[in-house]
Amino acid sequence: MGSLVSRRAVLGGSLALPLLARTGFAAAPIPLGAINPLTGAGGAYGPSMAKVAQALTARINGAGGVLGRPLALDVEDDQTNPTVGVEAAHKLIDVNKVVAIVGTWASSVTTAVAPLCWQSHTMLFCVSGADSITKLPHHGYIIRTQPNTYLQSGRAAQFLLQRQAERVFGLSAQTPFAVDSWNRLAQVLGQGGASGIGDIIYDPKQISFRSEIGKALARKPDTLFLNSYAPDLEILLRETYQAGFDGKRFTFAYAATNAVLKALPAGVTNGLFSFAPSPDLASPAYRAVQGILGVNDPDPYSCQIYDHVSLVALAIAKAGTASGVAIHDNVRKISQGAGEKVSDPVAGLRLLAAGKEINYEGASGPCDFTPSGDIVSCKFLFQVAENQRNKTLFIS
Amino acid sequence: MIASFLQALVNGTLAGAVLALPALGFNTVYAVLRFPNFAIASLATIGAFAGWIANVLWGWPAPAALVVAFVIAGAAGAATDALALRPLRPRGAIMAAIGSVALDLLLQNAVRFGFGNDPRGYNLPVFRDWQVAGIAIGPQEVEDAGLALVAMVALFLLLRFTRIGKTMRAVADNAALAESKGIDPARVAWIANSVGFGLAGIGGMLVALDTSLDPLTGFRVLLSIFAAAVVGGLGSIPGAVAGAFVVGIGEEFSTLFLAPTYRTAIGFLAILVVLSFRPRGLFGERAY
Amino acid sequence: MVDYLASLAVFAGLYALLGLGLNLVWGLGGMVNLGLAGFFAIGAYTSALAALHLHFPLVAAALSAMLLAAASGALLAVVTARLKGDYLAIVTLGFAEVIQLIASNEIWLTNGTDGLSAIPAPGRGALSPLGFDLASAGIVWVVAAAAAAALGRLSAAPYGRVLRAIREDEMVARVAGKNVLSFKISAFAASAAVMGLAGSLYATYDGYVAPDSFDVLVTLLVVLAVTAGGVGRMQGALLGGVLVVALSEGTRFLGGLLPGLSALQMASLRQGVIGLFLLLLLRLRPEGLLPERMRVHPLNDQGGKIR
Repeated sequence: MGSLVSRRAVLGGSLALPLLARTGFAAAPIPLGAINPLTGAGGAYGPSMAKVAQALTARINGAGGVLGRPLALDVEDDQTNPTVGVEAAHKLIDVNKVVAIVGTWASSVTTAVAPLCWQSHTMLFCVSGADSITKLPHHGYIIRTQPNTYLQSGRAAQFLLQRQAERVFGLSAQTPFAVDSWNRLAQVLGQGGASGIGDIIYDPKQISFRSEIGKALARKPDTLFLNSYAPDLEILLRETYQAGFDGKRFTFAYAATNAVLKALPAGVTNGLFSFAPSPDLASPAYRAVQGILGVNDPDPYSCQIYDHVSLVALAIAKAGTASGVAIHDNVRKISQGAGEKVSDPVAGLRLLAAGKEINYEGASGPCDFTPSGDIVSCKFLFQVAENQRNKTLFIS
Repeated sequence: MIASFLQALVNGTLAGAVLALPALGFNTVYAVLRFPNFAIASLATIGAFAGWIANVLWGWPAPAALVVAFVIAGAAGAATDALALRPLRPRGAIMAAIGSVALDLLLQNAVRFGFGNDPRGYNLPVFRDWQVAGIAIGPQEVEDAGLALVAMVALFLLLRFTRIGKTMRAVADNAALAESKGIDPARVAWIANSVGFGLAGIGGMLVALDTSLDPLTGFRVLLSIFAAAVVGGLGSIPGAVAGAFVVGIGEEFSTLFLAPTYRTAIGFLAILVVLSFRPRGLFGERAY
Repeated sequence: MVDYLASLAVFAGLYALLGLGLNLVWGLGGMVNLGLAGFFAIGAYTSALAALHLHFPLVAAALSAMLLAAASGALLAVVTARLKGDYLAIVTLGFAEVIQLIASNEIWLTNGTDGLSAIPAPGRGALSPLGFDLASAGIVWVVAAAAAAALGRLSAAPYGRVLRAIREDEMVARVAGKNVLSFKISAFAASAAVMGLAGSLYATYDGYVAPDSFDVLVTLLVVLAVTAGGVGRMQGALLGGVLVVALSEGTRFLGGLLPGLSALQMASLRQGVIGLFLLLLLRLRPEGLLPERMRVHPLNDQGGKIR
């Protein structure tokens, strides 16, 4: 990858605004909104998500836009706070008149913003994990690219069984899906002859987890399941190492980010397993995200927001008009079905312009959605940390 | 049972040790300037980042990086106080405190503007705990406790035996009288802030070593710093250290019988209990 | 645009209400209650639960919110009775933290971090979103104005005078025969009730409450509102609420001016500007935009200045 990656990263970073002036569009721009946690508890994720969304928008505009119109992306900070997120949504919907909002991260922000979206027929694409979100009465105006808890935890348990885990102990951050994911994990482990011997829920704002880890290790697990986010994962990894734990550790790829691996010595992080919903590794979409961020293992959220923007562009192109209703009615026509598989949104736009049917396969997975907005299923990518980088093990 | 009790005691002591330095810094500033300076959160963060630059970008070893943390945080604290907060002090402690909240917001975002949100680490090793009679003791935290002790002793010596220290004590005891005796309050403020926020800077780097380094590093421990300072007695040097240990140990003990997610609530409860018996904290408000 | 402004007006009104509550206990009574996010949360959750599980209509839900918040306020006052100034400020800050923790962890009651959604509001389905927002803004500001008037009356009445006396010198007030503790409790309770009312209106308007909403930043912004508006004068809190929302939303539009910055840098700039603005305001006009009118005793009126 080398210099090609870094050049692209620089390019992506410098295109902070949609290239309206440079491309010289005559037609009115299509307003698009992003609400990301640029500050606050989710601050580890928002900035790279914003960067990816901006870079892809610029690229689509550079290639001629959608229906001859440029996308005008406005990124707003929600400070990982639902009240602020609601204000941001009001501004985007009422002032910018966006056709879609992408990238909402915290479950509380998504839940707060959702009614504003479905009431105004604005399409909402989120990466939030709480299962309750797709159960809201959204009438099809929510699409979630993050696999739900049932799907993820089941697959995680299967992986652990393959690795011959027998006594698994869970340490979970207090989130809406903490309890559900543990229950599902323990259930599948039990079916496979292993057991989830216990679970402790912790407050992610704490700065030390020594006593929680002490309690966990007292039960003599051979595997620790760390249901965490990046900031608390860093502390957990350090403190489990200090406590002398040498067994298997397993977490989500969105926690085992590049930044966390670089912040700790290799000796502490080597052997950490993590997983994420996966695209085909050769997928141009995945490669594009790698390029924009300049890393080999981009975090799942950044991959998902790439898909959000792609889906918006492709759905509008399919519909022939730019509106939330149009995206709502057309997104599944370009994301799944019998059309030609395409992973590059610009190529997809060209095919649609030529009258062909397409099936978008994204950077975060195949992007096929149920009527309630969840992904149908996806493959998962399993990786292990080695020398401060994540090495891909396999996809299944 | 005894084992978990002892382990909680050890954990709490070590947690308190990490907290003691920023609490010391906070109380040093309070002793002389008589208001809670909320900007300690971002000044601790600034110290931590300064130490990071020294350690990771320049390749300096830990002790040198800690010195850099001290110097930069102390200078930043003194400068921002002189610029932004000194004009507010005549209006009363509450106004100065509110100003410090605004200052903290400004500084935290300046750090975020320059460094982004990604967690960073130092080029320093992570050590396994020592296992002593079945109790786990972290070497890094023991070092932190040692540093806190050294800082406390150094501060005590400074206050007791140097001229600078005597002027600080004079201002802490009676600012008006000290001024009438010719002591320049601005100079004393500068010294108190440099020392206090310098300590906070070292404390910040140690906290970051133990947790993670990002713009919110200091903010995450702000409430705990306050708790320690309040329990010990606002403005009291030994009180800061005592308070830090009380809060740290109290929170660890609580995990023995309460859900761990509530441990900060226990910290709050500990404060209330102590303050109902001694409304001015364990050591009252004696600075030394 | 109108809808956006209407929603901003709602939040400005909510901040104004919170500021009024803070003004009562701090501006008049000199007690720095930084636990206001906690009373805001108690009001919001009580109202939400009453509406969702007990099917209380708006007024009943709001009243229960005020009642429970007032009770918590009274309790906190009793517990912190002996604490002064900075100690009180820090301890009350801890109280707000505890409330947020309870909201996150007691899933059986509050639904934890998932929050309570679909809180019913009169007119939500019937009116268009714009209509609903305009109506809500109207209601919130009528309530805020009424509260300001009521608290203004209280401030001018003997009750207010006693509170100010306690603020100036508690010892003197006690010597004068005033039961200081009961005044403190009632002031805390009344202030908490107003904040709880704000919480109830917030829950009803937003239709959703989650622990994430009640963090320290809320407290900061309300303190900003009260300081900017003018500590002690009730109308000051109204102005302060508008100012705070104008400032935090206004900075959103800075984005176009500085194209070279990343999204994160823009966000940091926005928040930093709020801090800078407050510092400037405190420096240049520390008494706030609508300062408390100092009541000068005729005998002391040496050209209107008291040293």
